[in-house]
Amino acid sequence: MKGLRPIDLTFGAVFVCLMAIGANIAVWFPMLAIPIGGASIPLSLQTFFAILAGLMLGKKLGSISMITYILVGIAGVPVFAEMSAGPMALISPTGGFIISFIFIAFFVGVIAELSSKPSIQIYSIAAIVGLIANYGIGVSYMYLAMNTWLELDISYLIAWSGMIPFLIKDTALACLAAIFMVNIAKRVPSKWMMVKA
Amino acid sequence: MSSSLIIGQYVPGNSIVHRLDPRTKITVIFFFVFIVFFANSVLSYTTLTVFALVTVIITKIPIRFIMKGLTPVWFLIIFTFILHLIVTKEGTVLFDIFGFNIYTGALIQGFAISMRFFLLILVTSLLTLTTTPIEITDAIEEMLHPLKKIKFPVHELALMMSISLRFIPTLLQETEKISRAQASRGVDFKTGPLKERIKAVVPLLVPLFVSAFKRAEELAMAMEARGYQGGEGRTKLRELKIEKIDIAVYILFTLVIAIVLYTRS
Repeated sequence: MKGLRPIDLTFGAVFVCLMAIGANIAVWFPMLAIPIGGASIPLSLQTFFAILAGLMLGKKLGSISMITYILVGIAGVPVFAEMSAGPMALISPTGGFIISFIFIAFFVGVIAELSSKPSIQIYSIAAIVGLIANYGIGVSYMYLAMNTWLELDISYLIAWSGMIPFLIKDTALACLAAIFMVNIAKRVPSKWMMVKA
Repeated sequence: MSSSLIIGQYVPGNSIVHRLDPRTKITVIFFFVFIVFFANSVLSYTTLTVFALVTVIITKIPIRFIMKGLTPVWFLIIFTFILHLIVTKEGTVLFDIFGFNIYTGALIQGFAISMRFFLLILVTSLLTLTTTPIEITDAIEEMLHPLKKIKFPVHELALMMSISLRFIPTLLQETEKISRAQASRGVDFKTGPLKERIKAVVPLLVPLFVSAFKRAEELAMAMEARGYQGGEGRTKLRELKIEKIDIAVYILFTLVIAIVLYTRS
């Protein structure tokens, strides 16, 4: 395994910050609280940035960056959604979504590395795979948390149905991530795109 | 706001818990999380609760800081309690409210599980209340050291954490600046359907993206110019050291584990 260069470290760190901003984007832009069925759901761009991390940094650095994000959160810096932090964020039922960011970046990176040229087809597939990893792990963890440490008997289907509104907005954001990155990739210096086929 | 961000939830103090080696604190909390699941009798729960409460008292952290950390989970704790009260049907009927029979078993089970969750959150929150993010970063680097054998970039990970701690306040300010700049140009995000609002994210993200990565590139160049060579042979400003008090804590905590395992039914 090749060592990490300084630029890898700083780019990885930037994604940690972008995740922190993405988690709380509604703090600065209250219009991003989307009203769905009466309730207002603050839009979070975490999945969006985790997908971008995979597309831009590749599977290895992307997933290391996401591990760093989680560790920074555990260290007490309020980088998780709703400015929360600490190990308890992982214990709560939604902790699986935080853990899934590592896998999003990894799987998205694996697919992005299949092709040397950024294309909307590859990026869209990568984004969708990332989304599947996100919800697959997140909802399963929630189901597990509810049934084991809270001992509430909630069926797997009910756990899923509660997440549908979030799934809709994240699907839209995953598509945006693919389109955004295709356009960005053409315009930024080539060494910024660390994905190599 | 940004100044409070970097110290995280840390509440400065000079208690024994504050002065413990961060590695000790992480280890104890890690095992505490496991041992909580083994508690299933009145005595074992009492042991853990006493341990948690005594630790809280020793830290001398004002109770309102601890409560603040618990705010997001109060709802979940109460919700769990009520749901167990309604669903569980064991033991004898205690009384009924609005036609629901409340059983003694339900009361006990609901209380035990809420208590377990409360203990988990309380003890884990003590880590970030008594330890600075930088100390935790140092501890994580030390504790993950064995992973170097499988070529996991432990030192790089810790450095990435430190760089993030440095970058987060800067980039948060940058975000605020960009949002004001775009608002002054008349970008309106407040109305329109979901699709339009999501599209409105783009004029915020592009400048943020470019400025963030430019900064990162400059820092990387500065690191290279100063001859950064990776973790090999680097010395540290802050050295972690296991003191007598750490060993005492390990012994005490082992005792707590033993009591819990002995008193569980």
